[in-house]
Parts: sequence; C-alpha cells; structure tokens
Amino acid sequence: MNTEQETKARWGRSRFGGSQAMLIIVSLLAGAVLSAALTLVWWNFGPSGDPQRRLLAALAFGLIMLPAMFGLCWVLLLDRSTLRGATKNPEISVESQWYGKAAVGVFQDILLVCGLGAAVLSFIEVQASIGLVLAGVVALSMADFGVRYLLIKRAEG
Amino acid sequence: MKNSLPDHRKERGLSQQALADALGVSRQTIISLEKGRYDPSLPLAFKLSALFGCQIEDLFQPDAE
Repeated sequence: MNTEQETKARWGRSRFGGSQAMLIIVSLLAGAVLSAALTLVWWNFGPSGDPQRRLLAALAFGLIMLPAMFGLCWVLLLDRSTLRGATKNPEISVESQWYGKAAVGVFQDILLVCGLGAAVLSFIEVQASIGLVLAGVVALSMADFGVRYLLIKRAEG
Repeated sequence: MKNSLPDHRKERGLSQQALADALGVSRQTIISLEKGRYDPSLPLAFKLSALFGCQIEDLFQPDAE
C-alpha cells in the first residue's frame, strides 16, 4: 500500500485536520445539536394537539432528523481527498453521466406524474395534506432515481 | 465511437486501475471507455491524449456512417 492510500480512511478526515474518529464524533455532536434545534423549532411552530402525542411526535421528528443532520455535518466537514475510494475527478467519470441520465429521466417522470395527477384531480375532489403529497413526490423521485440509475449502470457498465 | 485505448494502455503496461488513478476517475470509467459504451467528455479526452502523448484522434475514431 502506498503512502497516499495509507492517509485515506473509510470515513475520511475533517478539512480542519484530526483523525477519522474525530470527524465522526464532531459530526455526530453537531448533528445532534442541529437535530435538537430543529425539533425545538417544530415544537414551537408545529401543529398543536394533545401534549403527550406532541411529545411522541417531537421525539420521532428528532430521531428521524438525527441521521440526516449527521450526514449533512459529515459532508460539510469532510476533506474529500482523504476519503478512501473517492475519485479525484468524479465529474468526468462515467458515473456522472449515469447520474445525469437518471436525473433527466426522473425530471420527465415527475412532470408526467404531477401533470396527469393534476389533470385527474381537477375532475375528482380529493382532500390531502400538501406536506404528505410533497413527501410522496420526494420518495417517488428517490425510488425512481435509484431504479433508473441501476438500470443504466447495468446497460452501460 | 471506436477507440484504441486498450492498445495504448497495454503498450505502457498499465492496468485499468492504474490508468483510472492517473486520470482521477473510477475504474468503471476505463472499462466503459474501452468497451465503447462511454464517449468521454472533452476534458477527459484531453487528459488521455496528454497521458499517452498523442492526439485525441489517435485514441478515438468516429464510427463510419
């Protein structure tokens, strides 16, 4: 193993220096703080109702936000050049082209689904939470992207 | 697009991984290039020509129409 590979780590190192463990710990702590702050915002401005149910909802909200906030902090703090397996020029790698093709496909699918959905809903009356609908669109887009990326990878890889 | 990438690479005794590392791309990129399933962007084509010390046309040739 050469020196360059030896300096690389599975989770990388922070752009401000320190070890891999330090990056993970700082990301976890910062993620927990951000998650708690967002939960506090939700608690103050979120929907009102039964206090016990709100408490449970706040806990669930905080727990769901925790991994996302940890990931966000890790991405922001990471020095990409210290990440094992990360290529130096991802933008000219074939995976970048696969990503672009999958993203274009997802965009077209969203236009189609939302357009057809809007057309159908203009004929029938359906009451739905906007938040839930948007979350559904996001989940559908992510799943669509994953499937499309895998299919493109299989066809062109 | 046809290419003579495998010949140039083997001529220099480079593995696919070594070439990928030299270019800063994934090994999959080299595999797809050599199979003719990925037409490189101009920056990548220039990097390849600089690495092999030849013209882009020496590496890549358009398919006959």
